[in-house]
Amino acid sequence: MTDPVQQQESLEAVLKDEIIRMYQDVAENPQAEYHFYHGRQAAELFGYETAWLDRAPAGAVASFAGVGNPHLRSNLQPGETVVDLGSGAGLDSIIASWRVGPSGRVIGVDLNPAMCLKAQANAAATGTRMECREGRMEDIPLADATADVVISNGVINLSFRKRRVVQELHRILKPGGRLAFTDIVSAKQLSQSIVNDPKLWAS
Amino acid sequence: MFRLLEETGFTRVKSVVVPGFRFRKQSTQNSAEAYGVKAVLFTATRPAAG
Repeated sequence: MTDPVQQQESLEAVLKDEIIRMYQDVAENPQAEYHFYHGRQAAELFGYETAWLDRAPAGAVASFAGVGNPHLRSNLQPGETVVDLGSGAGLDSIIASWRVGPSGRVIGVDLNPAMCLKAQANAAATGTRMECREGRMEDIPLADATADVVISNGVINLSFRKRRVVQELHRILKPGGRLAFTDIVSAKQLSQSIVNDPKLWAS
Repeated sequence: MFRLLEETGFTRVKSVVVPGFRFRKQSTQNSAEAYGVKAVLFTATRPAAG
């Protein structure tokens, strides 16, 4: 009989590969159709300001794969340090960098080092900058009390260990710091066939 | 998620359903509705003394 811990670790490893594959595919083939809305169509649906989408690099907009708009409630202020968990091609980080201004700081975290490079290049193309750290949301590669605000968009639901992720968010926020994130939630327990299928889970 | 945030020590936890979220494929959307799947915007605060 397989050890449940080993089984989960094995499933997580497969899931990590599937997440990298799926979201890198969206970034490299944004013209393709996926089972979720993405790109400018999705961003407009979620109320992203037209001026932001016009100003941001086309590649960052086209690769957008969020499930909502955390900026509606993030209340970012000039000078704040923002962490974007699962920063992808960087659209949310770029918008955050505009809002916190040159005295602020935006740090992306992404599982995929290629996406980190893409996000940093997209930010540079707009004349702003962000740092991006390769890492897992269950072990965020940042010191305690780093952030004034953490934003995230459709990422935490990808983790099997959400309690651990939320503990990490608490750890990296400064006392008094804020969270604003969108996520997919389910009212019912998902069937084991979905949980055990990395393709479905990564969606 | 709401309870998880509170249990971890966050306060002022609020959530609002993202209007307009849906899957592109109707079959996926149907399955999502069967499980009560929604996109939600969460906000929360780490207490100043926590």
